[in-house]
Amino acid sequence: MLIPIVVVLVASTLSIILAYLTMVEKDLLIATIYIAFIGVLYTLIYYILMAPDVVLAYMPVSSILLPLMIVIVLKKTKRFEE
Amino acid sequence: MEDLVSIAFSVAITTFVINMIVGTYGIFVKHNVIKKILALIIFSDSLNMLSIAIGFRIAEKYPSPPILTTEPRDPRDLTQFADISVDPLPQALVITAIVIGFSVFAFLLSLAVLYYKYNGTLDIRTSLEVEENEEGFQ
Repeated sequence: MLIPIVVVLVASTLSIILAYLTMVEKDLLIATIYIAFIGVLYTLIYYILMAPDVVLAYMPVSSILLPLMIVIVLKKTKRFEE
Repeated sequence: MEDLVSIAFSVAITTFVINMIVGTYGIFVKHNVIKKILALIIFSDSLNMLSIAIGFRIAEKYPSPPILTTEPRDPRDLTQFADISVDPLPQALVITAIVIGFSVFAFLLSLAVLYYKYNGTLDIRTSLEVEENEEGFQ
């Protein structure tokens, strides 16, 4: 009973830090990796909040498919934000 | 223990609201198009997370997912379902919103590629259209 509470607290606090780092990062590839980590943390919180069907839909979308699409777009355009 | 659960729950909801504020800041302030899309991803994910957190509740031991497993419906199963399961409606809405959001982000990224091919940059301040308009005003 104590472990889910600790996981929710740590994951939500880390998600704030990662969202801030995503906004201040100039290299968009690293910002994409931060987005994927936010997806992993939110997947943990979905699982603890008793939504297993949402976990099954959200995990591949947020951690694999969206970062893959953004990496392809960054390869076709520019990687660094000026 | 229930106090601890409610405190953790309040902290989590506060963090989701803060993430929504960070995403809104990025959408309005950043100049790069892909950075705006990343901010929109943060905003929509936090909004989905907030909806799921609203549907959650604190049950007797620990709540169960809203799934009925016995095929001939027993009244005792339904009573237990109504007692300890979380709200299934936000989960149904959020699982639809995630899939629709994925297609929306794919469309926005394709528009970003077209923007780069047309203007030669991803910055919204230095596009060809803006420069032409500025020359026209001068």
